[in-house]
Order: sequence, then structure tokens, then C-alpha cells
Amino acid sequence: MIQSHDPRMNRLGLPDAPATAAAKGALDQFGTYEAFHQKKEGAPFVYVGPVHAPEADVAFLFAKEQYSRRFACTGLWVVPTAAITVTDYVGDQEWAYDSLPLLTNQQAAATAPPAGPRSGDDTAAEAAYAAGEEDYDIFHLKKRGKAHQHVGKVRASSPAQALQVAKAVFSDQRPVVNVWAARSADFLRSDDGDRDIWTTTPEKKYRDAISYKVQDRIERFKAETGTSQAD
Amino acid sequence: MYGSASTHDLPTTALTGLENEDPILLAEFEARINRGEKIEPGDWMPALYRKQLTRMIEQHAHSEIIGSLPEGTWITRAPGFRRKMAQMAKVQDEVGHAQLLYSAAETLGKTREEMLTDLINGKSKYSNVFNYPTPTWADSNVISWLIDAGAIVNQLANAKGSYGPYCRALDRICAEEAFHLKYGHDAVVHMATGTPIQRKMMQEALNRWWPAIMTFFGPSDKMSVHTEILMRWKVKMASNDECRNQFLDMYVPKILEIGLTLPDANLRKNEETGQWEFTEPDWEDFKRVINGDGPCNAERIAVRRAAEENGAWVRRALLTPKAQYVRPLA
Repeated sequence: MIQSHDPRMNRLGLPDAPATAAAKGALDQFGTYEAFHQKKEGAPFVYVGPVHAPEADVAFLFAKEQYSRRFACTGLWVVPTAAITVTDYVGDQEWAYDSLPLLTNQQAAATAPPAGPRSGDDTAAEAAYAAGEEDYDIFHLKKRGKAHQHVGKVRASSPAQALQVAKAVFSDQRPVVNVWAARSADFLRSDDGDRDIWTTTPEKKYRDAISYKVQDRIERFKAETGTSQAD
Repeated sequence: MYGSASTHDLPTTALTGLENEDPILLAEFEARINRGEKIEPGDWMPALYRKQLTRMIEQHAHSEIIGSLPEGTWITRAPGFRRKMAQMAKVQDEVGHAQLLYSAAETLGKTREEMLTDLINGKSKYSNVFNYPTPTWADSNVISWLIDAGAIVNQLANAKGSYGPYCRALDRICAEEAFHLKYGHDAVVHMATGTPIQRKMMQEALNRWWPAIMTFFGPSDKMSVHTEILMRWKVKMASNDECRNQFLDMYVPKILEIGLTLPDANLRKNEETGQWEFTEPDWEDFKRVINGDGPCNAERIAVRRAAEENGAWVRRALLTPKAQYVRPLA
């Protein structure tokens, strides 16, 4: 049996040389969700990384713990990885929308974006939603190695069309190294009522480097012992 | 942060196969790296780059998760409530770092299931220092301070590497890490400047850990010469000896100023060359331990494996039949 310095390990009674463990099956670790956080009120949502989770509520919980445990956060979104449509990656000085298939003039006219923010009583929008169009959230990567950032929403009837619409709506944003588009309905998002899950974060001072005032003690020690101590 | 990614490089025989790569794609790939652009998961990359990065990030992830065990052992016995909270927060950070790193490795194509299977079957390596025990609270403090310090030297270098997902993970890891080093230093200083019994306990812990610390950055550059291509691709950002020298520069004075001594009579800085001189670590012993014959190898794997097995029914119960695996994006 394994003998440990930790009595909890000893209580487990673990065998010294177990047989080879069977390979984990597919999805033993679940599928993945991608998480986005908002650092402060009014700031854009920024990609923080994936979590493995069996469903959206658990993904949200894991993302909250994984990505907003230590530093200030005012909002969190999760979306299944599979729900995101990704463009090609291009160079740091380029525009990822250039890698989309070119549209005919007729197609381009059909994807003409609704100008300005959409509003509920916009009858054209109402008709579009009724005809099966949906909102998509669009994220841009501005530089390789950095994180995707939310730039806004577009309305479209497919992910491919959402990217074409975004190309027109965000045509002034350059460079763009990579674009993500995902149906807004596929996100699980925190709302204002969830804010209190982050209120205790700043109280945990023992996680702040600044709380450890070690230099005072070193100076006192040196004064008490004199310089000969280090010899 | 526990990673010592330079410890277990590919055997030299594996550093071949470039002749099978498309020369045009390879030239574009190298030009991108030379321009200072990062490589992202959707990009073409040489098989060797993918293989070495997967191996390195996976080993780093395993080091975080296994490295949390010798410190985790001391949570229940940490002296005082504040230290208990801090020790717990640190260990939680380390486990979180493992999650970040597993995800970064996954973007290269190896699933988390495969990585965890390799870990619990002893097929994948992790930083060798965690095959040693923490018999006292002071040993845990030495890890918190000096192993983390060594890892930071490595990780700050690697955060400037070429692979985007690894850089993003390391940026977050380094930000979370800021308190670990201070916490560890504080704990060591407290003991070293305390009662004679505390001082003795700390000195003995340091003596136990020093040989392992000296192996932390991996064998001397003289012994591992095939890193040129990995440096060119910015997979490896600093040589083992450069990292070790920087660590000694930064931390030997901090160790000596609190009245501790180091158990190596040959340790001195050559002021002419700027290089530290020391007794060559016992690399045969290092090999023996990393290949399974260390004081804690069996325990580390057994504990990790028990956690996997005890949680299996929960994961099975939560699995939805319609779930589909998609590689994480970035």
C-alpha cells in the first residue's frame, strides 16, 4: 500500500502497483464551451478560454471559477465551441474578411446590413426575424496571440451570411486577424442580478502579492543579527 | 506555476523529419515567426513543431496538477487560518493552471482524455521535483517560494514564445501567480528569522530540496545540444543554463540574506564570466527518479488515478448522449 506523509492519502489504501488503467473513453471529459468575460462595466466582452462541461449551466459555473476567481469581473458569457463559426486566420496586418467567399452584386445587396442599432419596433427587423433571421454575436481578433473581442451583433439567416453582414458592418475595423460568429441564442450570459457572485473577490487579500510585507521582517532580522549572519 | 518545460525534451532522434515538410509552407511558417507573429491553431505548422509543443504544454499541465499535491498535503495542517486560506488559494490556482494548459495543448490535437490516460499510466512526464516528498511545513514553503521562482523564470521566457494559445494561458498564469512567490517568500522568511527550532527546520528543508532545485531547469546545455531548431521556432526561448543562471542570480542573495546556507561548497559566481559555478547535479539519479524510481512517483500517480476513478461515475451520469467533441478554438 502507498505510504504518504498525508494521512488522507493513507486512508485511501491505494495499491503500490495498480494494473494499467483503461484508456478514457471519448467525452469522458465532456465537450467544450468557450468563455468570454467583461472586466468592468461598459468594457467589451473578451475571450478568456475554454471549459469542459456537460451542459451550459455547468460550463458557466466552471468558467466563473476558472476565469473570474481571481480578478475583477462584471459579466460572463459561455457558448458551445461547436456553435462558433471561424474564419481563416490571416497575418497581423491583414483583414480576415478578405478570406470570405466573394459575393455577387445581387448577393451583396441581399446581405446589406441594417444600419445603426436595431430596435424592437423596427418593422423591417420584425419581418426579418419572422422570416427566420437571427442575431449573431461577432468577435474580432486584432493581433495574433491576443484574445478575441466582442464587436457587436448582426442579423442573418446563417453563420455564413452573418460573416458577410459583419464584413459590411465592421468594414472600418482593421486589421482583423480572425473572426468568430455565433448565434446569440446559443450563449448563456450572466445578467445584472448575477453580479453579486463577484462581490467578495476583492476581500480575499491573502491572494494579493501586496499583502505580504516581507521586507520589514528581513530588515529587522538583519539589524538584530548584524552583517556577520550571512557568512 | 510549476512548469519546467525544458526538463524533458524530445530525444535527439525525434528532431528529424523536416525533409518531409512542404518547403514553401515551412518557409512561410518560419517567416511568420521571424516577423514576430504568433502561430494560431488554424495555421499550417510542421509536424515536429506540433509534436514538441504538445509534449511541452502537456508536461507543463501535468506538472501543475501533480505539483499541487505536495503543497495540497499541507492545507489541513498549515499554521493559522490565514495561511490555510492562502495555501488553499495557491493550490486552487495551480489546478486551474493545469486546466488552462490542457486546453492549450488540446488545440494542437491531443484530447484531454488522451493526456489524462497517459498521466495516470505513467506514460507522460511531469516536473521531476514533484517526485520528492514534503515531510514538513518548511518543505512546502520551499516549493512555494523557490520552485515557483524557478518556474517563473521559465514561464516568463515561454510567454514570449510563438504559439498563441500557450502565450494566452501563460499570461493568465503569470498574472495569477504574482502572489505565490510573495506568499512563499513570506513563509520562508517567517521560519528563517524565527525561533532556533524554526530556523533549523527551514535549513533542513532547504538542504533537502537544493539538489532537486538545481536539476529543475534540466541538464546542462553541453548535454542537450539539439535545441537549435526549437529556439528558432520560439518553442524554447532560453537555454537550460541561461534559466538556471538567472535563477541563481536572483535568488541566492535572497536566500543568504536571511541567514540560510546552501549545501554546495562549490557554489559561487564567477564574476569574470558572470556564470555561476556549482557541483554538477547527479544526472544519473535524476534519470532514475524521472523514470519512476523516486520516493513519491507511485504516490503521485496513485492519488491522481484514484481521483479520476472516484469521479468517473459522476462524469458518466452527467454525459448527455447528444454531446459531440469539438477541439477548443484558441
